[in-house]
Amino acid sequence: MSTPVPLAPPTWALKVEGLGRIYGDPSAASLAGTGPEHGTAVSPATGAVVAAWDVDFDVAPGEALGIIGESGSGKSTVMRCVAGDEIATAGTIALRGVDAGTTNIRDLDPSARRRLRLDQISAVYQDPAAGLNLDVSAGGNIADPLTAIGWRNYGRIRERAAQLLSRVEVPLDRMDDPVRSFSGGMRQRVQIAKALANDPPVLLLDEPTTGLDASVAAGVLDLLRGLLEETGVAAVVVSHDFGVIEMLTRRVLVMQHGRVVESGLTDQLLEDPQHPYSQQLVAAARG
Amino acid sequence: MTTYPTTEMPSTDTAVRRTDRLAGPAPRPGIFDELSKREIRRAVLSGIAIPGYQVPFGSREMPVARGWGSGGLQVTLSLVGQDTRLKVIDQGEDAGVNASNLRRLVVGHVGCEEETDTREADVIQSRHRIPEQPLQDGQVLVLQVPGAEPLAGIVKNMDEQRRMHAEADYSKMWVRLYEDIVHNGLITNAAGYPVLVEGRYVMTPSPIPRWDVPKLNHSEGVTVLSAGREKRIFAVPPHTLVEPLTFEDRPFEVERTPGAACRLCGSDDTYIVQEPGPDGTFSTWVCSDTDFCRRRRAGDAPEVTALEAALAHTREESTI
Amino acid sequence: MSTMNAPAASVTSASAPSVPAAPRPDQLTERLGLGIDRVMAESGLWAPQLAARAFGQARGDVTRATQLLRTHRTSLPRLGRSLPVRAGELRVVRRISSAFRNPPGGQVLGRTLDYVGRLLDLLPEEEGRQRAVLASESAHEHHDHHGHEHPGHEHPQHGHEDEVERAPGHVLSVFREMDIVAPPGDHDDPEPYDITRHPARPGVPRSALLQTMARADTGALLYLWYGSEWKPGGQEAHEVPGELRHGFLPIRVEHPHTGRPVTVGDVRVSEVVSFHSLTRASELPRHLDVGYGMCFGHNERKAISMAGADILLGHYEGTERAAGLQHDVLLTLDGLDITGYTEHQKLPHHAEYRSVLERATAAAAHQAGPHRTGPHPGDTA
Repeated sequence: MSTPVPLAPPTWALKVEGLGRIYGDPSAASLAGTGPEHGTAVSPATGAVVAAWDVDFDVAPGEALGIIGESGSGKSTVMRCVAGDEIATAGTIALRGVDAGTTNIRDLDPSARRRLRLDQISAVYQDPAAGLNLDVSAGGNIADPLTAIGWRNYGRIRERAAQLLSRVEVPLDRMDDPVRSFSGGMRQRVQIAKALANDPPVLLLDEPTTGLDASVAAGVLDLLRGLLEETGVAAVVVSHDFGVIEMLTRRVLVMQHGRVVESGLTDQLLEDPQHPYSQQLVAAARG
Repeated sequence: MTTYPTTEMPSTDTAVRRTDRLAGPAPRPGIFDELSKREIRRAVLSGIAIPGYQVPFGSREMPVARGWGSGGLQVTLSLVGQDTRLKVIDQGEDAGVNASNLRRLVVGHVGCEEETDTREADVIQSRHRIPEQPLQDGQVLVLQVPGAEPLAGIVKNMDEQRRMHAEADYSKMWVRLYEDIVHNGLITNAAGYPVLVEGRYVMTPSPIPRWDVPKLNHSEGVTVLSAGREKRIFAVPPHTLVEPLTFEDRPFEVERTPGAACRLCGSDDTYIVQEPGPDGTFSTWVCSDTDFCRRRRAGDAPEVTALEAALAHTREESTI
Repeated sequence: MSTMNAPAASVTSASAPSVPAAPRPDQLTERLGLGIDRVMAESGLWAPQLAARAFGQARGDVTRATQLLRTHRTSLPRLGRSLPVRAGELRVVRRISSAFRNPPGGQVLGRTLDYVGRLLDLLPEEEGRQRAVLASESAHEHHDHHGHEHPGHEHPQHGHEDEVERAPGHVLSVFREMDIVAPPGDHDDPEPYDITRHPARPGVPRSALLQTMARADTGALLYLWYGSEWKPGGQEAHEVPGELRHGFLPIRVEHPHTGRPVTVGDVRVSEVVSFHSLTRASELPRHLDVGYGMCFGHNERKAISMAGADILLGHYEGTERAAGLQHDVLLTLDGLDITGYTEHQKLPHHAEYRSVLERATAAAAHQAGPHRTGPHPGDTA
């Protein structure tokens, strides 16, 4: 066995290659007849759902990548596979923070995979209840990831929680209130603060403003944009809304029926979409 | 319908003889058989091998109700022999109804020796207390456990509880303590205070007062905890690190009432419980450990209690 | 040591002169047979004489009697295992199907308290009993002769001695041939799980769930099936007991020398197979769900509840809620376990309580004192 030549650490923080997720028969037989050209993600041969296939991307620190598509396009599946909420059927997922990117984290056992969520990858979900314990105070929700990596000083935990909450503009006099008593926008801010608690190098955002009132959503977007700029985190933003993608990301993938149909710089793609489906999405956003 | 070829049943005499040959002579009025005891001992050994880990076992029905020490009784019965000196206490007292009955039950079954002096006992079965007398090498403390799972109040799903233990994922427990301080100004866990054993497993020490928790740390004796209803056994071997869960800037507090002392022996360094005073209010105090109190009065008790010894040990360690 | 005995001594004084002679076990079996059957079912032990003793010694407290019987069983070595028998071998003394007017094999009403309106009989005991027997017999006559005549609908005999014994085919097998019931689950469970030797937790095989229910506290099981939140909402129709049987099953063991099965006795059991059509998302309601209940003795309420609960277990299998329902079945139904918690409330708790009071006082002092935790961050007392 040859000793691997020590490589320079990669420039990306997250790299995904050939990612696929099939619900049902995972064999190659399920692939034929699926994808945008067939207008379906359901295999005519096996009935399996090819929720995502052949997805490649990487994200550098300080960069934000968007994934856009309608519901059922596979964008959220990709995010859940990267987050570890579900296990991808195929492909490689690598993090610079894990063995300098040489380990496919898809191969890790569930326990090791969950540990990555402590300080390597964070996720913000559309539904704050998915990322927060609503019966615990805002500060307590942030204490969770802090204590998970070994913080044991009450005073310092409170200082850190306060710092994060003020960064996401949650009034500090609400710090000790249960999150259940918060408005939707405020809950989302707490979820963002919790996700950033351990300074993860990779942040996944799944429809972070969907379901919020337009004015509230705008505030949260503003906040996210500022955070992405100043923290240097590598972000993946999944959304059906070009407004969100345009505001937060520099590059974008367009997904339809489980496949990437187009990718490029966000502003160029908005300016001059090539794929008919992208054109349709852009037209809808501009309409 | 399937029909089976059948033969006649053997005569009763033959059946009885065969029974004897298979199972040995008829036991004295039994509680449980040797094979069952062996199974319990195996669970105890597993518990000692993995300090703080809850070992499932096939808990048997005992002559006492579940919740009245059926778990502790099974462990005690598996450990004692005829030459064992057995002490049984409830709330620190040898004379309580439950303690007396359990002790009589075991003594009647096994023929071992009754003991009340903590120093002389080989096995001490207890509910809710650890004696004030420091345990010695060779002594076994068996604690009765009503609820074995320290995470039960945090997550209900047993698979999730097991996952959390397996991955030492205790952040939800810490959040619980954090929230307690936020809302109450202090950690309000009273008895059964959660501990971390040898830096690995979070364990309930059974509903002993916080007063007794430091005694588990680096104890000379073995502590076996047994929950009959929940069918789990766990243990703290001698010289094992046992730390109450608390934040660095929130010191663990034991029950102390300034100025209060036992009205019988005058101790203010023992765990004391309230008693009605002359005015009918709960204004006076007595030792909960009746053996230690009696020996204090007789001048036969050590100056340094198990708690003080344990705290001194902890201080020593933290200065190293 | 005098203090040691003082509080405990009064507990065991049994021979007060005014206590009447205890009824003999056989008298109890005769007069309180259903209570004793319940003790045997909840014990998971067929032992009519011992159960009658236990029932008497527990002064009619089913749970205490169960404790006595189970504890006695625990003290005995386990010498062997009986061989599996088919439920089809059950020799019925009572068999009814509410799903069919006249099921194959016929209805066998048998001895039961059902069907007759009853009032508390205030006549002297013996005379009253006589009348009750007559009334129940005439009621059966009435039931049988009301409506059409059916060939093969035999008139059941009454009285314990000459009850009809036979083994009619199961309604379930008729349904299976018609392909209208869900096929048996693919349970990899060939050797029954032994819940008396291994603690059962969610995820155990089906045999452990069935054993737990067969030994369950009857009231707790009834509630789990009837009253709890586990019944799927919006399902208006209720399950139908396709069949209820009460009768004898043979006990066979392998002969130690010849290796051949030997019948060494029999046990009386109640058996219920229930059917229901619970629709699930992504599934066509083509098949009826099947639930199975069996326990020792004549315990129809328990067997019906068990079959209903078994349908629920099947309904939730493979869903997110499966572990929750299994948790409730395994950990909240056993009579000894669940009453143990109640019993232990009566034990002294003062050492623990002192600790609780200390914390309450400390928290109150903190709230009132200068160290109050303000809403502002970073403060430490």
